[in-house]
Amino acid sequence: MKIRFWGVRGSFAMSGRDFLRYGGNTCSVELLANDGHRLLVDLGTGATEFAKHLMGAEFGKGQGKLPILLTHTHLDHIQGLPFFTPFFIKGNEIRIMGADPISGLSLEATLQNQLAPHYSPLNGLENLAAGVTISSFVPGGTLNVPGFTVQTAAVPHGSMWTTAFRISADGKTVTFLSDVEYPSLDEPLPQALALAQDADLLIHDAMHSDLDYEMRRGWGHSPARAGVIVAERAHAKRLALFHHSPDATDDMIDEVVVRTSGETNVPVFAAAEGAYLDV
Amino acid sequence: MQITFWGVRGSYPVPGAATVRYGGQTSCVEVRTAAGECVIVDAGTGMRQLGNKLAREANGQPSQYHVLLSHVHWDHIQGLPFFSPAYIPGTRISVYALLTAADELNQVIGGITRHEFFPMPLEAVPAAFDFHQVEPGVDFVVGGFHITPIALNHPFGSVGYRIDADGSSVAYVADTAPFDKVLHKQHFLAGPEPLSADDQVALTAMRDALVARLRGVDTVIYDTHFLPDEYERFPHYGHSTPDQALVICQEAGVRRLVLYHHAPGHSDEQMDQVAATYLAKGAAIGIEVLTSFEGMSLPIGAG
Ligand SMILES: [Zn+2]
Ligand SMILES: [Zn+2]
Ligand SMILES: [Zn+2]
Repeated sequence: MKIRFWGVRGSFAMSGRDFLRYGGNTCSVELLANDGHRLLVDLGTGATEFAKHLMGAEFGKGQGKLPILLTHTHLDHIQGLPFFTPFFIKGNEIRIMGADPISGLSLEATLQNQLAPHYSPLNGLENLAAGVTISSFVPGGTLNVPGFTVQTAAVPHGSMWTTAFRISADGKTVTFLSDVEYPSLDEPLPQALALAQDADLLIHDAMHSDLDYEMRRGWGHSPARAGVIVAERAHAKRLALFHHSPDATDDMIDEVVVRTSGETNVPVFAAAEGAYLDV
Repeated sequence: MQITFWGVRGSYPVPGAATVRYGGQTSCVEVRTAAGECVIVDAGTGMRQLGNKLAREANGQPSQYHVLLSHVHWDHIQGLPFFSPAYIPGTRISVYALLTAADELNQVIGGITRHEFFPMPLEAVPAAFDFHQVEPGVDFVVGGFHITPIALNHPFGSVGYRIDADGSSVAYVADTAPFDKVLHKQHFLAGPEPLSADDQVALTAMRDALVARLRGVDTVIYDTHFLPDEYERFPHYGHSTPDQALVICQEAGVRRLVLYHHAPGHSDEQMDQVAATYLAKGAAIGIEVLTSFEGMSLPIGAG
């Protein structure tokens, strides 16, 4: 299995010279199995770049199939949806899966509202030419995604919940734990540890600097240390810091990686837009 | 007057090496009088950086901000929740917009911060918001600014603004399609639809009113999202080309045009070409054509 980060930034897409090495696009991550099956996690602005990549292949001809998992529906995780060009090609089949954001409001109604006529000229999901299905699931179980084994769990994210994923293929496992804040840093929740158990790669929310974390308790994000604690307790083999703060320049992220690496034996890197990586 | 461009991109923010010089953030322009009064036109992602600057200037003190919205497509409102002065208690933010859909303005704009989209709802933000519905043809005054809303041709409606202050004027004409092939209404267009006689009349009236309002304006900022060949493929997307902007400016006797709302796919190299091409085309008809980039500041009028 390979992984490619198309967007690693949290909250807000950042352009400019200070954000070139890690990248300024908001969250979107592709997983590619050895047999060619693909899976996308989240539809931040990074998904618009992934879309261009897909359009060069079968998606440009209306022959693409893609499952998309959503961690949650905060804008930095869905703002690429109206500009994800495979949606505009008839014949493509795209399935979006995620939890309902709050009780009584379905995932489909939420995405429909994102495309409401005042917000988007697309004026509703029904105007997407591709076959698009939106299905809600209740986190805690497994999902049926061709080519992958996917386990899910709900984790706390400020005033809401996000879905964390454990995704396996080709005997390798990636755990995706972004947009999460544990009630206590030293006590990661059991469902998070279970998903990360022996993972080859743990992708973890590292939005806050230590100082920001002290000032922003309850905002729903973690400092790099939270990922280290989960990785160590769950025996994850590698840790990718993810969901970088819009205030974090490339140089600041470099520093976080150096400091965090010094605190643990787990190999640590900061997720960056760029090439396919082997899991 | 002085204008500063904080976001010049259309549709969605485009980070990366290809947009470093012109900028990747979406629509937001600051207009300031010599006395320091300010209106903000559009609340795209460029508004975050503007907000950071204004919050530094405010130094923790509450202030009042006026935001003129052309319309509420995501690329024109997404910066609002990231406008840091909104988190200073006592701040007042007045939002002016066209009512384009059935909802109330506060619901539409508040809707972007609903629980499922953003961690903090508008009602919980420390700043107090008030909403004002604008109507093309009905001028209004904000402090030292005289504002003239102008109807534009864009899906579900959009409004441009002529802004007069300090004895000069600037006009913001975005987002808009040209006024010939397609009339945008309150429904989804999968492609151009045949125009009725009434549609033709409506388009001509809209165009005439725009040209009339632009007469005497010092500088016109115009939606020039498309290059001509791109426009031919997507005439129903609601955006114009620099050539179409030049024709309108020439008719209105405008001497300075700023290209704006660049397509997200246009790299810095392409934008350099656009800038050079239209600088020459404009010069040939006596119009100075500037291509906006993030951070560009322009004095408006003599002073
Ligand atoms: Zn996020
Ligand atoms: Zn726009
Ligand atoms: Zn628009």
